[in-house]
Amino acid sequence: MLGRMKKAYDVVVVGGGPAGMGAALGARDAGAERILIVDREPEAGGILLQCIHAGFGLHYFKENLTGPEYAQRFLENVIEQDVDVVPGSYAAGVALDSDGIKTVRVMNPAFGMARVTAKAVVLAMGCRERTRGAVRIPGTRPSGVLTAGLAQKFVNMKGYLPGRRIAVLGSGDIGLIMARRLTLEGCRVVGVFELMPYSNGLTRNVVQCLEDFGIPLHLSTTVAYIHGRDRVEKVTVAPVGPDFMPDMRQSRDVVCDTLLISVGLIPENELSQALGIQLDVVTGGPRVSSTLETSMPGVFACGNVLHVHDLVDFVTAEALLAGGFAGEYARGIQRPRDNILLVPGDNVRYCVPHSLSPERAHTIYLRCKVPMKPCIVRVGDLLQKKLKFVVPAEMIMLKIKPDLLERFHGDTLRIDIRPLPGGESSD
Amino acid sequence: MTETVHLTCIGCPVGCPLQLEHEGSEIKEISGNECDRGAKYARQEFLDPRRDLSTTVAVSNALWPRLPVRLTGPIPKDKVLDAARRIHRIRVEAPVTIGQILEADFMGEKGVHLVASRSMPAAGQEDVHHLGETVSPLS
Repeated sequence: MLGRMKKAYDVVVVGGGPAGMGAALGARDAGAERILIVDREPEAGGILLQCIHAGFGLHYFKENLTGPEYAQRFLENVIEQDVDVVPGSYAAGVALDSDGIKTVRVMNPAFGMARVTAKAVVLAMGCRERTRGAVRIPGTRPSGVLTAGLAQKFVNMKGYLPGRRIAVLGSGDIGLIMARRLTLEGCRVVGVFELMPYSNGLTRNVVQCLEDFGIPLHLSTTVAYIHGRDRVEKVTVAPVGPDFMPDMRQSRDVVCDTLLISVGLIPENELSQALGIQLDVVTGGPRVSSTLETSMPGVFACGNVLHVHDLVDFVTAEALLAGGFAGEYARGIQRPRDNILLVPGDNVRYCVPHSLSPERAHTIYLRCKVPMKPCIVRVGDLLQKKLKFVVPAEMIMLKIKPDLLERFHGDTLRIDIRPLPGGESSD
Repeated sequence: MTETVHLTCIGCPVGCPLQLEHEGSEIKEISGNECDRGAKYARQEFLDPRRDLSTTVAVSNALWPRLPVRLTGPIPKDKVLDAARRIHRIRVEAPVTIGQILEADFMGEKGVHLVASRSMPAAGQEDVHHLGETVSPLS
């Protein structure tokens, strides 16, 4: 029920975005009775609510939905399944009692600070954007420098335009989509600048968000300086060499009143860290077993808090799994411990989960370091799969069947992506 | 005289560079595509390029001042900017229900409607489908 919070729950989910809603439904399917979602925004739905463009749900619903449509379907389902949802509420901390019961501290304007107990907790806090500080752009500190996702919320939900003449740093999908969005709102987008020699967004977005509107994309180029006292007046852009350092001899100034920064996302794990949960330094999210359980028993994680996904459909699939295992845990069902460690090898930036168990099927998510085509993905000697291409912007999914692992007697599996003869890679 | 149009396929992340040779509106040859989707895309893009459109309209008496809306089908690419400008002038009042038609046969495109892409309850009138801020005390 919306706005209801009791004192004791089987499963408490922190975060009401697609991961949190999926986890709640997964927990319900696994037989958990009392489930709570805590969300800090005035309504649940997460970042989907500001992603008004289409392209969501193609895998999960086999339909092309906008973000708000995807969110609403889940939200209606969550409410129908009698999950309690408290929006406008902040999960300030999770503590572990000696008997394994967790206490979640929830802060809300209506009741101040309250404590609810949970047999299992699912972390679904999502991620936040890297800011100017994270990429250390020199210059003054005027207004008009903001992250692309924040601008998206201003434009799509709050009805503010961040400026009139916009430069965008970073060509990830959010940056590309905001370039189109602001153009449709009457702004002039003067250019998108990308440090890497390739765009980090989908080809579809490069074509339909930039080329359609004649917005130039400058690869291997970065913003080297921000000018302006009270408001951004211009930025200095410069091409970068192989060491990614700007070549100031070839720099030029671009007049703009706004700089949107779209330079990556960081899983939001303050709560996990306060709990002492082990994090993976590459993903920035918790290390998890194949049941998506963190290093703390009974605490699970899914969605962008675990690793940054490119499709919400994959978040949903992962969240249903995590919620399912959390629901089982709350009911006292114990799965055998994983006994196979996964290790990222050649051209593999990371893989999630971090370990496997031979008792059931698995989906491994991984990301490559550099584009390669065509290539072959190898999981130890157990599995190999030819791929026409890999790019860092697109997550790779590998299905592992249990019979494959039955024949395996080691304790580590290394995953490599290697070029096929005649293939090319760029780095 | 044969002319060449250069396109980038959007079918998948490979992004094949496509060349479409044509004489006037007659397509002579499509090359550069690694699969059939490329040829299909090039043909559509050359003969009748269309785009989906999502944007927002002003909504009063609601939690947020903007309501996300979309067109239910693609419209000709050269109409997109004009369509966005027209939609920008529309004002609605909450409550609005997801899928509600705000303008039918938009800009004369038969069967393409402007619809709300979420429900927006009137302020303070949230029900099970419409979320709001109210939280009851612990029970």
